[in-house]
Amino acid sequence: MNTPAIPLRILAYAVAISVTIFFLYPYWWMLLGAFRSTEAILTNPLALWPETLDFSAFEEVARIGGQSIWVYALNSVLVTGLSTVLSVVITALGAYALVRLPDPWPMKLLRSGFLLTIMYPYMLLVIPVYIVMFKIGLLGTMTGIVLFLALGPIQFFLFEQFFRRIPRDIIDAARMDGASEISVLRYVVLPVSAPVVATVAIITFLLNWSQWFPVLVISRSPKTYTLPVALLNMNGELGVNFQGIMALAALTTIPATIVFLLAHRRVIEGVAEGAVK
Amino acid sequence: MTSVSAPSPARGGPSLALPRQAVFYLFALPFAALTIVFGLWPIILSIDVSLTKSATALRAEPTYVWFDNYRKILSDPIFLESLWRTLVYTAFAVAANVTFALGYALVISSKAITWGRTLFKIAMFLPVVTPDLAGYVVWRWLYDQSFGAVTAFLALLGLPAFGGIASVDTAMIAVLVAELWHHTGFYAVIFLANLALCDRALVDAAKMDGAKGRQILWYVILPQLRPALLINTVYAIIEFLKTFTVIVIMTKGGPNGTTNFVSYYAYQLFDQGRYGEATAMATVLFAIVAVVALVAYRIGDQREPA
Repeated sequence: MNTPAIPLRILAYAVAISVTIFFLYPYWWMLLGAFRSTEAILTNPLALWPETLDFSAFEEVARIGGQSIWVYALNSVLVTGLSTVLSVVITALGAYALVRLPDPWPMKLLRSGFLLTIMYPYMLLVIPVYIVMFKIGLLGTMTGIVLFLALGPIQFFLFEQFFRRIPRDIIDAARMDGASEISVLRYVVLPVSAPVVATVAIITFLLNWSQWFPVLVISRSPKTYTLPVALLNMNGELGVNFQGIMALAALTTIPATIVFLLAHRRVIEGVAEGAVK
Repeated sequence: MTSVSAPSPARGGPSLALPRQAVFYLFALPFAALTIVFGLWPIILSIDVSLTKSATALRAEPTYVWFDNYRKILSDPIFLESLWRTLVYTAFAVAANVTFALGYALVISSKAITWGRTLFKIAMFLPVVTPDLAGYVVWRWLYDQSFGAVTAFLALLGLPAFGGIASVDTAMIAVLVAELWHHTGFYAVIFLANLALCDRALVDAAKMDGAKGRQILWYVILPQLRPALLINTVYAIIEFLKTFTVIVIMTKGGPNGTTNFVSYYAYQLFDQGRYGEATAMATVLFAIVAVVALVAYRIGDQREPA
């Protein structure tokens, strides 16, 4: 109807801007911490701009725990990338099957079993997963980590909702024409699925980039550690290397931030949709 | 064609349907394999381990002590305290996160905001997609007495010092604020999605009838936000019952046990090889989460016909 009065608008913007600062300030402080020398930080923790750019922290984090930071970075990329691809393919096929053929008891059982799994407190599930990994010989392997990270609730719900919305008529028409289920999938469902696949892939990437506990538990040595796990170890070390910790935190955060900024609309809408289930 | 082994009342023709349907089982196979191997099997294993003696738990033939571990944890004052603490923390964290998210969603979706809405949304959601571990590491240092910005900022304003994660009185609040920073954007996004579906005409009609801002909020907007309120409350309860990463990074259960929540305590016992008790705690927490989810599911179902 009418635009609100000026004082109300000022108030609304004051709130929005303060809250935005609350959300963003830790990132800026982290970056400052990475580029400012320790003495400078101790003298003035609140500086909003670096006095001088000090890159020494990045030389210090070049090697962590006896191996190059590139090992962690590469592991992060591999684990996240592979688990994302696997998650999209496996969950899409699974959700599609459960939407198209929901009634037979094995399918009902599968759906209930999956819902039960995602209800189990995650960090407590990870512990028995350690034993499972041991039993099937995947403990300490990249394969084990990737397979475990391929299963997730939001991926399933997004695909399930999407496949439910595909009109039955289109599929029935194709079947009337004698198309096999594989052709239906290939020529009817797949072409319209590009947006949901992209959404799920990006969200899975962001989720799995953040994962650290399963990686830590399934690993047997730092050889399979990812960036967050390296950060955990560095933060737990005796003898504070504040600047190095901030540099590593920044390196862990920046890739996720870039992906999110490039696809923010898709991510936010996808998460909202996957959650409202 | 009166075969005994064709019980499936198929959707298509009965004789042709079988091979068609078989394809779906094939599609579901990898998903089923992951669910069984990394979901159901570990859950069963965990419950199984909770019934055995810790020292023998990982052996091929463990000694079963049945409910001894449950009896043990239920008479362990540290566990009972941590359970109570977890419930109290969950209550506060849920209330804080959901209220904050609701208030903020109302502000940035209001007509008073005419520019910058996308920016506000991005800023609000960035912490959600930031690796939680990295976020909590930064917060751990923000609270630091010598490096941290929080102490310096309060001193600048002339406010009393905040103990942060180092003080018994403030550790839980410090953890709560850091978790709010990480999670609340998620709940706000759910509210915003719900608000976008709200009927603006109702608000305008109420204004015509001379309703005040507070009345409109209470009687017109909030009832329409019931779905988001329900979803967010349930998600938040489940989320905060499991609070773990922030504790590992920021407090390690301290100071003096004031942030020792159930999942962290269970993990510690697991680390000490007390598998039976750790998995018994996991089962208890799982039962609580399952009850919450079930109750929510019921409430959601009741709402359906309306």
